Amino acid sequence: MNEQRITLTVNGRNIEFEAEPRKLLLDALREDCHLSGTHAGCEHGVCGACTVLVDGRPTRSCLCFAIQMEGHEVQTIESVGTPQKLSVLQQALHECHGLQCGFCTPGIVMTFEAYLKDHPEPTEADIREVLSGNLCRCTGYQNIVAAIALAARRMREASPHDQ
Amino acid sequence: MTSEAFVHIGSHQPRKEDARLLTGHGRYIDDIVVSGALHACFVRSPHAHAEILSVNMGAALDMPGVVAIYTGHDLAQWTTRHRMAPPIDGLRAMEMDTLPTTKVRFQGDPVACVIATNRYLAEDAAEQVQVDYAVLPAVSTMWQALASDAPRVDNDLPDNLLSHQHAVHGDVAGAMAGAHRVIESTFSQHRQTHLPIETRGCIADWDVGRQHLNFQVGTQVPHPYRTTLAARLRLSESQVSVVSPDVGGGFGQKIALYREELTVAAVSMQLGRPVRWREDRMENLLASSQAREDFCRTRVAVDAQGRVLALDLEIVEDFGAYSFYPGNYLARVVAMIVTGPYRIASYAYDVKVVLSNKVGNGPMRAPMSVTSWVMEGTLDAVARELGLDPVAVRRVNMLRPDELPYTMATGEVLADVSPNATMDGVLAAIGYDSLRERQVQARAQGRWLGIGVCNVVESTTYGSKFYKSAGIAGSGHEAAWIRIEPSGAVNASVGLGATGQGYETSLANAVADGLGVSPADVRVLLGHTDIAPYGMGSRGARGGTAGGGTLYLCAQQARTAVLAIAAHLLGLADAQALRLLESRVQQQVEDRWQDTALTLADIARVAYLDPLALPPGVSPGLEFHLTYEPPPMTYSNASHACVVEVDGATGAVHIERYVVAEDCGTVLSPVVVEGQQHGAIAMGLSGSLYEHIEYDSATGQNLSGSLADYLVATSHELPHFELIPMHTPNRSTPAGIKGMAEGGVMGAIGALSNAVNDALAHLGVVVNQQPLTPMYLRGLIRQAQQNTNKAST
Repeated sequence: MNEQRITLTVNGRNIEFEAEPRKLLLDALREDCHLSGTHAGCEHGVCGACTVLVDGRPTRSCLCFAIQMEGHEVQTIESVGTPQKLSVLQQALHECHGLQCGFCTPGIVMTFEAYLKDHPEPTEADIREVLSGNLCRCTGYQNIVAAIALAARRMREASPHDQ
Repeated sequence: MTSEAFVHIGSHQPRKEDARLLTGHGRYIDDIVVSGALHACFVRSPHAHAEILSVNMGAALDMPGVVAIYTGHDLAQWTTRHRMAPPIDGLRAMEMDTLPTTKVRFQGDPVACVIATNRYLAEDAAEQVQVDYAVLPAVSTMWQALASDAPRVDNDLPDNLLSHQHAVHGDVAGAMAGAHRVIESTFSQHRQTHLPIETRGCIADWDVGRQHLNFQVGTQVPHPYRTTLAARLRLSESQVSVVSPDVGGGFGQKIALYREELTVAAVSMQLGRPVRWREDRMENLLASSQAREDFCRTRVAVDAQGRVLALDLEIVEDFGAYSFYPGNYLARVVAMIVTGPYRIASYAYDVKVVLSNKVGNGPMRAPMSVTSWVMEGTLDAVARELGLDPVAVRRVNMLRPDELPYTMATGEVLADVSPNATMDGVLAAIGYDSLRERQVQARAQGRWLGIGVCNVVESTTYGSKFYKSAGIAGSGHEAAWIRIEPSGAVNASVGLGATGQGYETSLANAVADGLGVSPADVRVLLGHTDIAPYGMGSRGARGGTAGGGTLYLCAQQARTAVLAIAAHLLGLADAQALRLLESRVQQQVEDRWQDTALTLADIARVAYLDPLALPPGVSPGLEFHLTYEPPPMTYSNASHACVVEVDGATGAVHIERYVVAEDCGTVLSPVVVEGQQHGAIAMGLSGSLYEHIEYDSATGQNLSGSLADYLVATSHELPHFELIPMHTPNRSTPAGIKGMAEGGVMGAIGALSNAVNDALAHLGVVVNQQPLTPMYLRGLIRQAQQNTNKAST
């Protein structure tokens, strides 16, 4: 064992812990930062359940080491909304029945919290293309697609940008 | 039982589960922190079939963090063997060790268990455990399994034929002999797996002081699971609590007690420490339950109009290496219900289930899914051979409403289904006739459109009588309790195990309407054997009728008791003019309902805190318990229509439209039902197009160990599903509930295959195996074009 001190910035807070350099960001978030909302689905970068934001960009936390993330801003699902106050996207997923078992959901929320910031008017085809990086075994995706489109519309209505 | 006017059943309620799951505050197995827990990692066989000569753990034991390493010999002392031997005609008994001691039977079979202080270190040590094997020839296909000189998968059996059942109903031979035509079709369904996004896992915590095992595991069937776990640990059922928290999908994979889970429990008892395990995705693909691999052959005797005079069905299922379920558990149901909504009085079947060197089979969402492809593919073959329209062939064979209830050749009774209405519904929605015209025009332009229709009769709620008549051990009953607390809050529980179906929402509607409260005031507690009543859990599509139905009846019992107390407090002779609505006691005055001064909270206060004010003979408290045995079988029905375009140059299938009309009776929660329909159709399409657990035919190596090999349809490949809901209540169940959730798989498999065949019809080729990969379709197309070229030269 070759543990060393690692400092991560997660959801705006600095968290220090001891871990081996091989420790995945995914495992460090769950075990050392006590943020269990980021889920391990495949641990080889396909399913997208472990998606977090690194410096604002969607990133597979199973494909990077925690120690690589020193000096970067990591955001997890716990930074998005609370059970009492859902984000616009989370609220839309709730209303459209865009989740069933919920295991893949945090990865989808993180992917589209970032995507919708840069792409306020996605078409259904755009949404389906981007969503193809997240596997969901329960929903058949249709209600997730509808929820993302609804969230995009509400976000546009809430902050109309320059025409 | 269907005359009630519902207030909440069938109404739109966003799910109660969502807030925690959307925000990362769900609690799945791996999210539960247990201090001091050790981690298990399994050493798995790299061979499909091999004798275990020795297990050498010397170096691994000395590695950092390693606490212990155990083999099958250790587990044999601490646990009993698994014996699968229900008294079923034609089924052979099977036994297995907790972990194999003499030979491994598939690649991924666990041979040793490493216990270490964290998962990384456990995996490190597992790599250093040296196992010597003597490799044996493997049985990699069902045809190899049936060969007279095949290696034996189970040394205790004389050959690999685990189960063989057959039956003849009516004069099949006579009908075949005198028929206009006898048409034969074959269907090869490939091996697949459930692939819940949350893999398997568990936490065992043996309480040394209390001599009690607290076992947390994602399971669909908490109580039956506990019964098996306790027995195999030689514990009483009072010494084991099974707790199933949020579960990230099951689809049938989380029913049986797995050997890894039993090992983790036994090790916790030995060490007196908590032990946890979570498989990785490769283990999930190599060693968790698999499903579906079978070959079906039909022969139908028909007249010139395509009327089926007799059907003969042959099934061979590749069951894998171990019997976690009775061998006949899956294929027998296919044989019993294959005739679906059609009038087929003469019917014979022959079902063989064979062992192979693969992971043992289990039920996967719609274990009987092949029925629809087989029956509807057979009718399409009849249409093709006789030059008839596929819809016309269905019409001459389909049961008319006046023929229901209809006793199928196998004795199963089909009632309260509407196949004519669902088929008419989808044909109208897709514009069948004009679509046929468009197909002709497209073909003239070199574009290959195909239209596939598939009618589905989904067996939903399996009652004890069905199990008995199918020769399957088990009960179909369910149990519920409801407790109205002193404040008037309502807690309710049933023996189901949730894996994402939204039970906390849909079942609250059943309680709300049975009792007369708002769903917001109902909390549904599930997945804890010390809290829930002993029920049979979640499998098939029994959640609605068995789960919701039992709760509904229990809630009605509670309402009767509440209103009797209310009548007494109001000075009325009886409760005939009273009802409970949204927790308010109302009285009928002439033809109007008026609030009384009483609410449910008032009644509850009296029941708990002022029991002397209760009517004479009424016991204090408001607690209710009930068990319910559903009918032998309930059926939902649906019709699927699929429009595809096949690219002749690449073999790719593009789904242009997908429409389903589904009649699943009274629905508890339409939003949940819609979600289940989407998910089931998606699983069927994904399975038919891409998913494939493939074993090398020579070595038995599993070639699908990652999600780069085992392909699943994403949002990009799946179409938009158009749903047409229909609601014919079942007249013999509480509230008319039928159940649903698997039929979408059944219809998708058949509708897609029929559509692709329709698109390729002009080439004279027929798809008779899945998945419908571009490589497979290009092969067929190439062959057809070569034949055409040969014929023209």
